Amino acid sequence: MILIVNILMLIVVLAPVVIVMWMSFTPTATFVLPVTDFSLRWYREALSYPGFLDAFRLSLELATLAAVITVALSFLAAYGLARYRPTGGAALKAFFTAPLLVSAVVFGIAMLQFVNRIGLYNQLSGLVLAHIVLVVPFAMRSLEVTLRTVPEELEWAAMILGRSRLGMLLRITLPLCARGLVTAFLFCFLLSFSEVTTTIFMTGPGLQTLPVRIYSYMSDRIDPTVAAVSALVVMVSLVLVAVLNLLGGLRRLTTQ
Amino acid sequence: MRDRRVRAPWLFVAPLVLLMAVGFVWPLLQVLVNSLHPNTPQGIDAARWTLDNYARLADPFYGEILVRTLRISVIVTAITALLAYPVALFVSRLSPRAQSLFVLAYISPWLVNTVVKALGWTLLLRTNGVVNTILRGIDVIASPLKLMINETGVIIALVPGHFMFVLLPLWVALSALDPALSWAAGTLGARPSAVFWRVLLPMTLPAFIAGLVINFVMNMTVFAIPMLLGGARNMVASMLAYQVNLVSLDWPLGGALAVALLAFTLTVVWVGQRGAVFVVAGRGARP
Repeated sequence: MILIVNILMLIVVLAPVVIVMWMSFTPTATFVLPVTDFSLRWYREALSYPGFLDAFRLSLELATLAAVITVALSFLAAYGLARYRPTGGAALKAFFTAPLLVSAVVFGIAMLQFVNRIGLYNQLSGLVLAHIVLVVPFAMRSLEVTLRTVPEELEWAAMILGRSRLGMLLRITLPLCARGLVTAFLFCFLLSFSEVTTTIFMTGPGLQTLPVRIYSYMSDRIDPTVAAVSALVVMVSLVLVAVLNLLGGLRRLTTQ
Repeated sequence: MRDRRVRAPWLFVAPLVLLMAVGFVWPLLQVLVNSLHPNTPQGIDAARWTLDNYARLADPFYGEILVRTLRISVIVTAITALLAYPVALFVSRLSPRAQSLFVLAYISPWLVNTVVKALGWTLLLRTNGVVNTILRGIDVIASPLKLMINETGVIIALVPGHFMFVLLPLWVALSALDPALSWAAGTLGARPSAVFWRVLLPMTLPAFIAGLVINFVMNMTVFAIPMLLGGARNMVASMLAYQVNLVSLDWPLGGALAVALLAFTLTVVWVGQRGAVFVVAGRGARP
């Protein structure tokens, strides 16, 4: 009984993703069952549609920028909190995870009105700022766990032996955290790459990320081209998830 | 030297604090301030202050939208509550290797963007979609079921969509329990159902409630799924927010809506946490 619930749930959770992959390989223009033939026709179609290519490029650029900046600043902050244990550290940690408490819709509205106010509407920088805020809680959590695995004694030893704090950070701590940094980067990249709601609220037609472009295409019509683009997105996401999992990044989600 | 010790952490923390102040605190304050100004045909009148925008939210038209949003959210959270426990219990009893595989299978769809999943559900649920084709093929139904562009479609897609927010905390709580507990209760004569009701459930209730609260809040504020699977006529709160902010461009009203949504979700989270604490204290079980 418990096994049946589990299998059913697994099917339901995976079904939408699987069906998109499957349908993207149909040779016909309408999705009708049963699908017997296999074709890459819609992938060629999708890759020659400039709207999707531009959006894909924008999404890559946005996710890379947001992830790099987030990981760099979060590493510094996590290091400061972990090693100096300043008074008010707990309050700061709560502040850095606060975006989790604000739903994507509310944050999207706030960002829309904010970027218009300061003149960043339809600018990449506005989107980067929003995406950084959205992924900071995850980066902080992941890097905190990473820093706990680096023994403080090694850092003391390096400093006693004459390294400055900065030299020690660069030569000892950063290399020891390399794996954690890569994990945090991939995780932030993935979250930014799949972000939909906040981005839909804060951008106009001039600046559409790939998920937003797929969304507006879908509101208009549904054809195998959009399934092929979606399938490509799924493949990119799943490859990143697999790498993350190999690096042990997903386990950090559940580490206390 | 002492002075440096006090100042140094701030050098590390300051860049992120600054960025969050600009990118997070300021936008939220901005939207609060906008919601307190009247809207005029020329735009926001920053010279005057008013609470009118909040009073306008009491309109019966908005009440209907709120009731629909709440109805969908409660149904989804209730279904999730019934399904998540058996799944978490099953997964937590597997070998560590099988556990991580199952958890991976549940997490990965969460990391694929919602729009793609909405497309998948559309292909499955529409009139000539996969589900209707299969059901008609095996003669279960004569005419196709209407599974989307209504609340049913939204609920079907949301249950698996937000399932992980309950499963994950519950699985963590269950795997942190000492397996000897169930065994001990068993040797003392407790039936499996008693082990569940008197041992497992009380000890994992805080995590369970926390997960359900997150699930509920996510259901209240989800956008793309109700938009694409519910259709414009089944408007929920987030779709109204889109309409007001991006179509009618009434930012003071849109701001009031955002502030009200935020206040509501924070209250739910707060009450949920208090509830979990209360339950734990009342039962005398330790978290």
